[in-house]
Amino acid sequence: MAMPVNDDTLVEAETEDQREEMSSSESEQDEDVKLTEPSKNAVYNRDALLDKLGDISWPENVEWIHKLSVDVDQEQEVDVNDDLARELAFYTQALEGTKEAFEKFQSMGLPFLRPADYYAEMVKTDGHMVKVKGRLLAEKRKMEEADERRKAREAKRLAKEIQAQKLKERAKQKKEDIESVKKWRKQRQQSGYADNGKDADMGFDFEDGKVFERSNKKRPGVSPGDRSGGKAKLAFGKGKKQKKRDGKNSKFGFGGKKGMKKQNTADTTDDFGKYNKGAVSGNKRKR
Amino acid sequence: MGKKRKHSETTQSVAQPKKEDAAPERPARTLLGWKDKNQVEDNNNADSPIFRNKEKLLVTCSRRINYRYRHLMLNLVTLLPHCKKDNKVESKETKGATLNELVELKNCSSCLFFECRKHKDLYLWMAKCPNGPSVKFLVSAVHTMEELKLTGNHLQGSRPILTFSANFEKDAHWKLLKEMLLQIFETPKDHRKAKPFHDHVFVFSIVDDHIWFRNYQISVHHNEADKLPRGGLDKMTLIEVGPRFCLNPIKIFGGSFGGPTLYENPLYVSPNQIRALEKKKKAGKFAKKVKAKTRRKMHEMSNPLEPDEFADMWKD
Repeated sequence: MAMPVNDDTLVEAETEDQREEMSSSESEQDEDVKLTEPSKNAVYNRDALLDKLGDISWPENVEWIHKLSVDVDQEQEVDVNDDLARELAFYTQALEGTKEAFEKFQSMGLPFLRPADYYAEMVKTDGHMVKVKGRLLAEKRKMEEADERRKAREAKRLAKEIQAQKLKERAKQKKEDIESVKKWRKQRQQSGYADNGKDADMGFDFEDGKVFERSNKKRPGVSPGDRSGGKAKLAFGKGKKQKKRDGKNSKFGFGGKKGMKKQNTADTTDDFGKYNKGAVSGNKRKR
Repeated sequence: MGKKRKHSETTQSVAQPKKEDAAPERPARTLLGWKDKNQVEDNNNADSPIFRNKEKLLVTCSRRINYRYRHLMLNLVTLLPHCKKDNKVESKETKGATLNELVELKNCSSCLFFECRKHKDLYLWMAKCPNGPSVKFLVSAVHTMEELKLTGNHLQGSRPILTFSANFEKDAHWKLLKEMLLQIFETPKDHRKAKPFHDHVFVFSIVDDHIWFRNYQISVHHNEADKLPRGGLDKMTLIEVGPRFCLNPIKIFGGSFGGPTLYENPLYVSPNQIRALEKKKKAGKFAKKVKAKTRRKMHEMSNPLEPDEFADMWKD
């Protein structure tokens, strides 16, 4: 096995700094320097490499538990410049390798996953993890805000569309109403009714008789807060104070007399039961 | 008292020792056994002792190292419980010998030396001591654990699972690098600082003739230490912990921090060259202008205008 004679020490590494100055001056002569072109005189001593590998490698019969290494096939070539594809390739490699390793652990009956109650020092400190969590939450918040803004924009656009649609519908409805009125007038003229007759409105159904009908909920001449259904108005002429009281009763209902709980009555005045007890106990203490 | 010998006699006696007195020459020893084939056969016949990984790693760096690269080094120190961190070493011509001495003093078998040049370029020396081999890498695309993008976390000192892409078996130099990475980055089984669980995975992948390193936390929902629920492996996810970096192999040397060159990367271009090229590109604009001017002058000189017949027509 022939070892190469060129004994490269670390001097070549140090001279690299001087090379920069040289390279800048040299580069003026040959303009088209191709960086990707492999150098012709590169050293590759395969036998020496394999010999060194033999020197340093562990025995072949070493148990897998000492190595914990897994070889994973890459299905396709990875484009270095495509960050996402590259990172995905690394992730899948790690995932496949881990699955394979865990299956081996299970078959060997070795513990490999950390139990929930096993607390020990971690690679990253709690303070750092708090920062990480804060950043993740901030990102999440940002995303949510962006989402809300987007939704608001969409809602605005939708609202405009809906508004326009409603306006169209209203205009259409109005048109229809006017047309129906015109139709009705025509019908009246044809049937020979006078316009100003007393019962002019009677007996005609427009759209099932519900177009000009007043709703039952509205009560004419009754204020919205009146519970008595307008009867309170009738009792308002009795006197100024009475008027006020009745008005309030109609609004809130009659709540009964207030402030009579602490008034003395004949029974409470005649009852001396509470006083005697105190006197007896007091005498005992004095003795 | 015996008779005194002449000087010539003593030299003769030293030069030609008796066959019985002379010790037999020791064969070259390797991890597998002896290089002499007969010895290897004898060794195989004997009961092989139980293998114990006693790998110890020295991690150190050069002076004037960039803060980012220092963080990377410290991250690796936290990831590898079997390593010893040492003070900075002066990056001189004699650093190889110095480092070899340091490794011997610290009782280590491997070394990672981070060398920073011009506050820009980071080189990583990976060496097996004292007999070699050693590899010099250019480190690029460095992201440390401190970055908040890398959200994972795992036990300090837990033994990692190492995954290698299949193209490490392609060539001899990749095989050698794989073996070195395996021995350096794998925590020994019975190490006192090692934890008994495996909750992270190292990825070594060759893409574009560079070795890319990633470290992921293994996240699995489980109840007991060694039992996974049904379909647990399918639900397993990985979260990146960091650090991440890319190693571009420059040279492989036969010895420790020096020696004969076994491999040289034909595609490697030094960052100095790249910077010089970029400078040249920037300077190109001005150079073009100057060239255009000189070209114009040359053209004017080579093609002079003919004298005008009517130039003096209106002169009195």
